[in-house]
Parts: sequence; C-alpha cells; structure tokens
Amino acid sequence: MNRLLLRSALRHMQRHPWQTWLSVLGIALGVAVIVAVDLANQSARQAFLLSAESLTGKATHQITGGPTGIPEELYRELRVEKRLRQTAPIVEGLVRLDGETLQLIGIDPLAEADFRNHNEGLNDQAARQFLLKPASVLLSSITARRLGLEPGQDLGVTIAGRQVDLHVIALLEGDNPAVLEGLLLADISTAQELLDSPGRLDRIDLILRPDQVHDLTAALPAGLNLEIPESRSRVMLEMIDAFQINLAAMSLLAMLVGAFLIYNTMTFSVLRRRRLLATLRVLGVTRGELFRVLLLEAILMGLFGTALGLLLGLLIAEYLVQLVTRTINDLYFVLTVTQLIVQPLTLLKGCLVGLGVTLLAALAPAIEAAGTLPISALRRSRLEQRVRRGLPWVGLLGLAALIGGGLWLSTSGNSLLGGFSGLFLIIAGYSLLVPLGVALLSRLSERSGKRGSLLLRFALRGIGANLSRTGLSVASLSVAVAATLGVSIMIVSFRSTVADWLAYTLTSDIYVSAISSRASSSDTTLLPETRGLIQSLPEVAETSTGRRVTIRGPQGPVDLLVLDFASNTQQGFRFLEPPLPELWTGYQRGDQVLISEPYAYRYGLGTGDRLTLDTLQGSLNLTIGGVFYDYGSDRGLISLSASAYARYWGDTGYASVGVILQPGIEPSAAMAAIRKALTASDQQLHFRSNRELRDYSMAIFDRTFAITQVLRLLAIGVAFIGVLSALMALQLERSREQALLRATGVTPGQLIRLTLLQTGLVGCYAGLFALPLGWLMSEVLIEVINRRAFGWSITSQLPLDAVFEALLLAVFAALLAGLYPAWRMGRVSPALALREE
Amino acid sequence: MYRLAWLLLLLLSACDTSDTEPESWQVAEALGGVDDAGFARATAPRVFHFPRDHGPHPAFRNEWWYLTGHLQTPDGRAYGYQVTLFRIAMQADPIISPSAWRSNQIWMGHAALSDLQAERHVAFERFARQGAGLAGGQSAPLRIWLEDWQLQLDAEARWQLRIATEAFNLDLELIAESPIILQGDQGLSQKSDAAGNASYYYSIPRLASQGTLRQAGEAMQVAGLSWLDREWSTSALGPEQAGWDWFSLHLQDGRNLMYYQLRQKDGSIDPLSAGSVSNRAGMQQILNAERIQLTPLAYWESDGKHYPVEWRMKLRDEPQPWRIKALFTDQEMRLSVRYWEGAIEVREESSKRLLGKGYLEMTGYE
Repeated sequence: MNRLLLRSALRHMQRHPWQTWLSVLGIALGVAVIVAVDLANQSARQAFLLSAESLTGKATHQITGGPTGIPEELYRELRVEKRLRQTAPIVEGLVRLDGETLQLIGIDPLAEADFRNHNEGLNDQAARQFLLKPASVLLSSITARRLGLEPGQDLGVTIAGRQVDLHVIALLEGDNPAVLEGLLLADISTAQELLDSPGRLDRIDLILRPDQVHDLTAALPAGLNLEIPESRSRVMLEMIDAFQINLAAMSLLAMLVGAFLIYNTMTFSVLRRRRLLATLRVLGVTRGELFRVLLLEAILMGLFGTALGLLLGLLIAEYLVQLVTRTINDLYFVLTVTQLIVQPLTLLKGCLVGLGVTLLAALAPAIEAAGTLPISALRRSRLEQRVRRGLPWVGLLGLAALIGGGLWLSTSGNSLLGGFSGLFLIIAGYSLLVPLGVALLSRLSERSGKRGSLLLRFALRGIGANLSRTGLSVASLSVAVAATLGVSIMIVSFRSTVADWLAYTLTSDIYVSAISSRASSSDTTLLPETRGLIQSLPEVAETSTGRRVTIRGPQGPVDLLVLDFASNTQQGFRFLEPPLPELWTGYQRGDQVLISEPYAYRYGLGTGDRLTLDTLQGSLNLTIGGVFYDYGSDRGLISLSASAYARYWGDTGYASVGVILQPGIEPSAAMAAIRKALTASDQQLHFRSNRELRDYSMAIFDRTFAITQVLRLLAIGVAFIGVLSALMALQLERSREQALLRATGVTPGQLIRLTLLQTGLVGCYAGLFALPLGWLMSEVLIEVINRRAFGWSITSQLPLDAVFEALLLAVFAALLAGLYPAWRMGRVSPALALREE
Repeated sequence: MYRLAWLLLLLLSACDTSDTEPESWQVAEALGGVDDAGFARATAPRVFHFPRDHGPHPAFRNEWWYLTGHLQTPDGRAYGYQVTLFRIAMQADPIISPSAWRSNQIWMGHAALSDLQAERHVAFERFARQGAGLAGGQSAPLRIWLEDWQLQLDAEARWQLRIATEAFNLDLELIAESPIILQGDQGLSQKSDAAGNASYYYSIPRLASQGTLRQAGEAMQVAGLSWLDREWSTSALGPEQAGWDWFSLHLQDGRNLMYYQLRQKDGSIDPLSAGSVSNRAGMQQILNAERIQLTPLAYWESDGKHYPVEWRMKLRDEPQPWRIKALFTDQEMRLSVRYWEGAIEVREESSKRLLGKGYLEMTGYE
C-alpha cells in the first residue's frame, strides 16, 4: 500500500486523539464485557465439570436416592451379596463458613482405591486420625491457603445450624488442587456424624461392566436410580444454561452498542476528511487504495481496542466470576470458583468479535468514502442532499428490519437464540429509522421555534441541516440509552412481580425452619413434635408445614413442594388459568398435583394434563389440578400434599412450619413464645417473620441481578463513550462553520452557549427516541426472552424514574460532550479556523 | 507368628517407595505404627477355651486366621491355596458412634491360588472396616467374614470356607484330623525377653478338606489337606529383625512340622526362631534353632527381591537331611505388601523320596 496514504491515515488519527481514543475505548469496553462474561461463565462451568469429574473419579455409574437418600444396607448388599466389588459409598453435605459454603464429602477410604486418589501423603498417625477421630477432615489445599489454615488447626463451621470445630488433619492436593477448591473430605463415619445422618448414604459410585447394568437396574429398590455420572453433571449444567445464555446476550448487547460507536466514529472520520479524500482522488489515488487505507485504519483501532479489551475483560472477569458463582449458589447448586479458567477459545471469540465488528462497522463508511466522486465530495451541501434523499429508503429498510424482527420473534417458537436475534434485528431496524425521525422532529421544532431567540433557531436549524452527522449521532446515542433503559425496565418489572408474588405466597405471620446441611435432594426436617408444640401456644391460630425435596420426574430431577395447609382456605397460590373445580379435595387426596408456570412452560403441560412420578411405591400417574405462578425456581416445581407424599415416599418429615397468629398478636411477642416453646429441642432453627422472609427473598433477588446491573453499567459506560465521541466529533467537525459565526460577530460566550444548546438538543432528541426503543426492548426481554429462558411471566411496569434516568443520561452525556468543543471554539481565532477558505 | 507385624512393617515401607500401585490409600498407613497403649498383652500362658477362642480377641491389637493347603481334583489336577483374614485394631478403645461405619477395627484379607500344573499363581486382597455389615467376627457360632469371604465353624465341628475372587471361587468344608496344637509355651509364643512381647498361637495342623473350586466357569470337586494357624498379639517386632521364613509341612508319615526362622539384619538367625513337630495324636516336640538347620540352596528373583525357593532342612533328630522346594517359583504375593507364599514339597535329599507337602512363607527379602 502507498506509504504516503498510510501516513496520512496515521496522521489523521494522531491529530484527533480524542476521537481515536474514544473509539478504541469503546471497542475495548465492548470486547471486555463479552470476554469477561464468557470467562466467568466458562470458568463456572469448567470448575463444576472438573470438580464433578474429580469427585466422580473412575465411576461408570452412580446410584442416587430420593429425598431420604440411600439406606446403607443397600451398599452391603451390593458389595457382599451381589459381589459388586467396585463400589464406593458417598455421603455429601454442606458446611457453612462465614457466608461461604463448603462441600463435605464422606468416603470410605478402603473402598476408594478403584475410584479416586485424593491424597497420597498421609502419615500413619494422620490416616488413623482420619478414620478414628470425630470431626477430622482433609481440606482443599487452595481453600486452606485462602483461609490461612495450616494442617492441625481447627476450622469453626456451621453444619445445619450447629457450631462445629472441624480438625483439619491434612490438606488435599491431588493432581490438580484447583478442582478440589471448597472441598472437605472426611471419613464416611465422620460425615454421617457431622450431618446427623446415620444409616444414610447419598450416593453409591460403581464401576460396572455393560452386562451388569441391566441386572442392577432391575434389582434396585423403588426410588433409587442408576445413573451415568456425566448425565448427572449434564443435568446440573442444564440448570444454569438459561442464566448463562442471558448473561452472554447481555454482553452482546454491550457489544452492539459498541458497534454503533465504532460505526459512528468511522463515519465521522470519513466525513471530516472528505476534503482530503476528494483531493487524494483528484490526485489519482484509486478507490481501492482509499478503501483499503480506511479499512486499515479501522483494523488498527480494532486491534488496539481488542487488545485493551482482552486485558480489561480479564480484570472484569475476576469480579464477574464471583457474581456468577454467587448466583449459581443462590439459585442452583453449591459451587466454589476462585480461579479464572482462561480458555483460548474465549480470547479468540473476543478477538473475532472486536475485530469483526470494527471492520463491519467501518465497511459502510469506507465504501462510502471510496465511492464518492472527487468533485462532489468537495461540496458539503451535495452530501447533505444525498443523505436527505436517501432517508426514506433507509427508513424503509429500518421498517422492514423492525417488522422482520417482530415476525422472527413470533415464529421462532421457544428458541432463546431466536429471541435474541429477533431483538437485535428490532434494534437495528429502529436505529435505521431514527435519522428519518430526526429530520421530521427538527422540521417540526424549527417551525415551532420560529419565535425563539436567534441562538435557539441557529441550534435547531443546525441539527436539521447537518443530518448526515446528527442523524447518526442521535441513532447511536438512542440505541445506547435504550439498551440501558430496556434492561432497567425489565429488572424493575421483574422485581415488582416477585415482590407481589412473595406478598401473596407468604401467607403466614412467622416461619420456623430447620437449617439445612444437605448437599442436594432434600432439606433438613424439623423434629416431628415441632408443629404440635407451636400449635399448642395460645398466640397461634393455625399452622401449616412445607418441605422441598428433589425427586425423579418424567423429565429428570424435579423439585417437589410438599405442603400441608393450615385450613381449607388455601391461599398462597395464584393460577394462570382457572384450576380444576375439585382441585383442593383432589390435592388433599393425593391424586392431583399443582405445577409451577416454568414447569408447565418447559414441558408444555397445562391444567387437566397428567404427570407420572417415580415414588417409592412405584410410578404414580397424577392429574395436574392447576398451574401456579412461581418465581422461586426456573426449573419448575411440582406441589403435592403432605399426606400424599407421606403415603408414596413413607416420609412424614417437614422442613418448615408456617404460623398464623391469633388476631391482635404481635409477631415479635409470638416469636419469643415460639422460641421458648422449642428451646427443649437442640435443633438449630431459623425464625423469620413474614417481613424478614420477604426481605430475605428480595435480597437474594437483588443479588441475582447484581450481575445484570453490572452489565448494564458497563453498557451505560459504552453508551456514554459513544455519545461523547459522536457529539464531540459533530461539534469539532463544524469548527469552520463556527469560525464563520465568530467572524460575523458572535462572541465566544454566545458560541459556547450555542454549542452546548445544540449538543443538549441532540441529547434530548436521542433521549426521546430511546424511550420507545427502550420500552420495546423491555417488552421483548420480558415477554420473549425471560419466558423462553425461565418460563415465567412478568408483569410489565413503566418506571418513571428509569425513563427519567435515560433522558438525563442522554442530555448529560451530550452536554459533557459539548464542553470540549465549546471551550476550544471559544479560544480559536476565527481567522485561523477560516484560513482554509 | 510375627507374620502380621511383618506385613505391616512392609506395608509401611511399600508406601514410602512409589514402585507399587497406590492401593487403597490410607489403609496401609492407618495400620502401621499403632501405639501399644491400652491393648492387652500376652504375658503368661492362658487357658484356651474352644470353640470360643476360635473367635476374635479384640482386646489385642492384631489377630489372624490363616489357612493353607493342597487340593486335588479327581482327575489329578493339583492346587495350592492360601487364605488369611487379618483383624487389626487401630486403637485400643472401641468408639461409640451413631454411625455404623465408625470402628477401631480393620479387616484385611489375602487369598491366593496356585495351579501347580500350569504353574500359575493368582493373589487377591481385600480391606474393609468392621461395621456396616462389611466385616467382622463372632465366636458363637464362629463366623469370621470380610465382605463375601467367610470362615465359619458349625456345631458339628465342620469348618466352612467361602472365598470368591475375580479369578476363582473356593468353597471348602474342613474337618480337623488332628488335635489343636498350642505353639510355644502352652500357646504363649515368646518373641523377646521383655514380658508381653509375645503372642498367643495355636494351630490345627491337619484338616481334611473337600469342596468346590470354580475357575473360568468350570466347577471342580477338590479334596486335600489344610493347615489352620491362629494367632493374636499386641507387641511389634524389634528393629533388628529383617524378615522371616515360615514352613508348614504335612509329612506322609502323619507328622506335622511348623518352623519359623527369624532373620536378623546382620544376617544371623534370631535365637527365638521356633516351631514344633506333632503327630496325629497331638504329641508335640518343640523345635528351636539348635534342633534345626536351614540352608538356602537356590534363589528366584522378582523385581530385585531374591527369594530362596529351595532349602535344605536338617533336623537334629532325623538321620537324613531334607530338600524343600517350591512347586513352582513365581508364587509371590504382589499385594499392598510383597511377600512370597507358596506350595512346596519336601523330599529326602539322598533318595529324592517324597516325604510330604506344605507351604512356605518368606518375607523381608530385598
């Protein structure tokens, strides 16, 4: 390529460092968000898979149990009577430590040799201690280092609400210490003691020959399952799929905003140089050369921005991975991730997106620049004319994309990917319509502003007259603002829907529950007499019980909500459609169940359909009596009456008691009375008032959306930079015009006011255009994306403060962007700026 | 007699070197270096009560039930077998726990079969803790089991051995043909001068054995002669001892010979090496290092360990020296601990006349 051309391009970038750097920063932020989200997602998945793999060891199969686990007698039977030599019993539980959750795994080291090799370096004394001394554990070396623990020290933890000092006798290293992060390994007897579950196993690992599988499956008692470990991990990972896809899409949204920014910058850099470019063309530079040099410019910025973005992404990911892990812990399963697992693919993805989007965004301006004729390019008015003529066509294209996006949304079934592509099509279509809108709006405002001051008329006219720039700026600014607005409307709507749901679901005044230590499948039950003790208090009107256990549904594991209502005034459920008329009698009898909306959506079930569940008494065919709203689990819930559960699973335990107080009784006074009544039992309990439980649930909700908020803030950051760079370019590009004004007697102060007025107006326009798009986006996010991802319906809200915030963001960014050009214009001598003429 | 102690010492050293497969981590470690404190000691001769004393003595640290024997099928195929069930306490006090898995006792089992025609030896090992129904022992009626390996004694004084491994299943009924022989001083087998450094040790040298051997889907009737050794103790071996050679012989004239030779690290023979010769009636003569002379004649090497697989044995009271020879060389137990235990025959050295068959165990060879 022509060195001279290249130098001119570089020189141009140098002379406009603000523009160049803002663009680079925009690309960098976009890439950073994508890379960070991908890294956080992948790290969480990898950490899960690696630790699952290391805990599974060489097991080909696993026997898993229902809510009551596996009776340990089965293990003896398998090993001694069925002579299955390669079997290992596992007890699992959770241990809490200052807000962190560690996984406690109990093993029989004598049966482990075929499966896992966790530790090679135990000396005889430590090995004996492991087998003999209660509360002795091995702790992941990484976790120990993080907690500053040495072997031989005690670790104070809470297990099912009880304070326990664990003796760390040695550290777990393994081949890859990182996968053991958050793991406590104990002898099986220690684990049973700590988790208070004598006689119970949570899992039996097996190495089976193919010919043994069938016989074993047939011989297993009802309620137990023979599974392949990988499929178990897969089911676990599927639980977080929707959550992670959503995060990835949010990050793409940030990149989309970034793309607009790049497009904007490139277009301006072409527009600003149209004189130079035309001159070059006159001098004999070919179109191809011009095109190439402009693309090269874009590539340079893209490379720089991408590199910066990767670095930034790694930094953000460190923080993001904690948020992702916390959400997974809050909503799905226990997972400890403290290490970023950087996969080359993620970085490659970041590079491709960064460079690809930059090139794509630069393509149109480059074609434009290469395509203009030498003469016409010199004349500015020609350009504006062409833009004006093209407006209807661009608008038409936008309309087509908008309609296409809408159609795509309605025809893409349940596909989440379809939902997101439809959303992006709508955004693109809308942004193409914006310049037309700007033209109409400016014409309208010029007419109504006729009686305003000269300065105002100048400002208004300026926007309409420079549509090639203002249209673009307003479009990119409004997309950026709309993205943040859409996400914020969605969150606000979701939050208020959940708050509303909690208000009618939580019908009791006080909730008493056991503190759980189970890793999965079931929560800890209260002592059997608990309900009676509470019920007998004079303050108490009625009690209900609840429990959540994981059972095997027709499509894999599903949470079962086991309820025993206070009375027959069944409250706490709201139904999507009218439930079956005899629902509550059928529910109490145990031949009808309720399913939650996400479950119904996921498996295409409705009121009156039938459902088959695997129980300890064999499989059970039940009628769905109603579909209720639920926001507690995106995997869905099935609700069964306590009497039916007791019948089919032989388990009368309950995990929480809901207490309805006599009229006029203060919850705090009643709580004290209940505490007193239950002091005799040494079980550790949670006592929560309705208010506290609601606040607690909302706190989890907010924690879940913390990551979305972070992404939204990042998108705002990108948008802000976009606005800044677009408007600054707009103003700087008009320096000659402004010099002319100075020369004709406009004072620097007036000029500054004019500039700020104009950028403020552009910001205003952008804010206005962002409102419909933001609302549209929120509707798509609520009605399409959330539904497809999680299966729940959210009641839309239009929060005025979010709208206000969006407008403010647009205007504030615009004003800020006007400051520098205004300041510069106030200083530059008009003669100097005009010399070109 | 110090069989187990040796095994444990070897287990420990086997774990330090990484040339063996890391079998059941912790097992080996957990069994070694156990403190003597709190355990009962064998300090004086005791009165044995049978069948009660066939059962476990958990107050002592270690205990084992040791069966070796030669078996033949009706068509003349010959096998040797060894089955040992070890009980090992990791601490003296039993532990009270709601969990059935918490136990101070661990059981270890070794089972080996030597196909004497094919010269093929297979060996298997099991570990399980006492508890959760996986392993344990009771004396009335006698039942010792480690998962699906089991030794029982019924009311008609019939012993029942059931062993199932990946390569063979062995079901045997054993009936004592000779009385119980109390080894050492009325069953107290002194290890060193220090009081309590001894074990209680008895044998049933001759057990008529018959049953079924299943191998590769084929079930064979087998019959032959077995030897049962029973021993329990607490104290461990001294550091100066390097290994030992244990012989058990069924002689065709009806006598049974047991002798263990303790080798010191300096190459000398420990004067505490001992044994006995008994006849069908249970008449017993004590053997000690002065009454017997053992000379290794030929060695077989396995991974740097040189096992003497051919011996000259000269008893003071016998006119002719005997030649003892492994029926084939590779009968090494390559388990958590490596040792050699296999079928042997004994011939008169001069005439090469077959005098009997037996088993030989050799440990501590480098």
